Amino acid sequence: MDVELIVVESDAGVMNARQKGRQLAMTIGISGSDLTLLATAISEIARNIVQYAGQGEIEFRSIVRGGRRGLLIIARDHGPGIPDIAQAMQDGFSTSRGMGLGLPGARRLMDDFEIVSEVGAGTTVSMVKWERS
Amino acid sequence: MEVPILKQGDFLIASILGALTDTALTRLQENLVHAVRKHRSKGVVIDVTVLDVMDSFAARTLRSITVMTRLLGAKVVIVGIQPEIAFSMVQLGLRLEGTLTGLDLEDGIALLKAADTKDGARNHGR
Amino acid sequence: MSLPPTHFPEKFLTLAEMMNISEQELERRKQFLQFGPEDEERLRKLAPVAENYAEAMIESFYEHVLSFSELKAFFPDAALLARVKARQKDYFLRLTQGNYDLDYAEQRLKIGAIHERIDLPIKYYLSMYNFYLREVWRYIFEIDPEHPDESMATFFSLMKLTFLDISLAIDTYIDARERTIKALQQEAIQELSTPVLPFREGMLLLPIIGQIDSQRARQLTEHLLVAIRAYRAKVIVIDITGVATVDSRVANHLVQTVDAARLMGAKVVISGISPEIALTMVTLGIDLGPVDTVGDLRTGIEHANRLQGYRVVKIAEPDEDEHRENA
Repeated sequence: MDVELIVVESDAGVMNARQKGRQLAMTIGISGSDLTLLATAISEIARNIVQYAGQGEIEFRSIVRGGRRGLLIIARDHGPGIPDIAQAMQDGFSTSRGMGLGLPGARRLMDDFEIVSEVGAGTTVSMVKWERS
Repeated sequence: MEVPILKQGDFLIASILGALTDTALTRLQENLVHAVRKHRSKGVVIDVTVLDVMDSFAARTLRSITVMTRLLGAKVVIVGIQPEIAFSMVQLGLRLEGTLTGLDLEDGIALLKAADTKDGARNHGR
Repeated sequence: MSLPPTHFPEKFLTLAEMMNISEQELERRKQFLQFGPEDEERLRKLAPVAENYAEAMIESFYEHVLSFSELKAFFPDAALLARVKARQKDYFLRLTQGNYDLDYAEQRLKIGAIHERIDLPIKYYLSMYNFYLREVWRYIFEIDPEHPDESMATFFSLMKLTFLDISLAIDTYIDARERTIKALQQEAIQELSTPVLPFREGMLLLPIIGQIDSQRARQLTEHLLVAIRAYRAKVIVIDITGVATVDSRVANHLVQTVDAARLMGAKVVISGISPEIALTMVTLGIDLGPVDTVGDLRTGIEHANRLQGYRVVKIAEPDEDEHRENA
């Protein structure tokens, strides 16, 4: 599978990203219900990008670890960055007045999750959904 | 990509047809509120069986539909949330508090009718 | 202004890597087929001739294919057929372009995967090679009828390569099957370990025994939600009599399960909270929120019955004769 990249700068991009993620995960062999979890996580992260950074990109890669296949999703933006990641990842915290816990929620929906952010530089979220073993 | 709104007696039924753009969801909100007022509906069933993903935007919009519709004196039931969607929603903390939920269309209508009866009984001062 | 790299150094993988087909593996297969540099040479020499016969051969191949009704279904319109023919032509021409390396294998694997995904039975996929080899023999022989040995050698080179292709195609089909089987097995195992029992119309009992970790909690929840849909359940009794400890994490899992069930229109009653567990929960400040909880399973079932408007009334004594017969 080639690396796939989706530019996200509006709600159309959010939808593109989650549909693309679902499609790619399906070809890797990720199971039905996991596809929904993955699509939901992508949707949340993509929305964060649009809301806080205006635009960004989401990269999809197929990977293997210990014989298990997975879809690696790397969401990058050059937005304002998150000053306190620990706090942002805490359940119940959200800097905007919306409902839902985008970041911690996405983490719980995915198998592996990592976030790097620098104020003034941007944020990169990397997450993986593995096929069921 | 408008979501069709059907009238069934005192109730309105909106069935979401698949992947919904944000704009379409927002339009649904407007259309439903107008329709409730126009038909003086007592309840709305929103069927999300085929919705691909319920994220924070969708949940927020459904919640405002519920709040706005309640101001017009009508109840909202969301039906058709699939197992994977329900699971994802709780992971994201999207609990749709204050909104009635049912398994499917049949269930939804039954819930609205039951709520209607309760209101009727209350209003007649039993 | 670039960010530090995240923690995932995994390089992206090709289909060949995902299926464990390395350079060595490819080399091995060529050795088994006795496919070497001389074969490559012969095939490269065949290229100009192949260009000439490709169109005619593809046409007669598809005439053959479309004469089978079950295969017609794969080509609903003329535009699709035209595209497929064009790709098929590229596929066959590639056989005589040399460089049968990992890139070549990758391409062949991709094509096999596509065919598997559209559910083309492998018997049809393989029979395509059969047709090709028989048609092609004519063309090869006609190049130099005076030297049939040369023709044979070229034909055999081609045959070896198509067998290499076939092995790669079969690999993609097998791989896909294995993944499907594994997924089905997983599902079956999960269902066995988290039984959801319908005990009355619209009512389910989910007895949990043992420890609940995140993975188990997730399985339980998923299984329950699917059962709610399947049985159109409105009330669930989750019995935790058999759960050893309830800490805040377990409580959290329970709350999430309750919330998710509610989103599907079902109400949950949690039964089996022992005095010890109740004490622990109070001490730890655990609040299950707006959930009906009761002490034991019996009360839980009665409560569930009441919620659905049922009342169980004894209407007769146990049948003495029934009992005696069993003695």
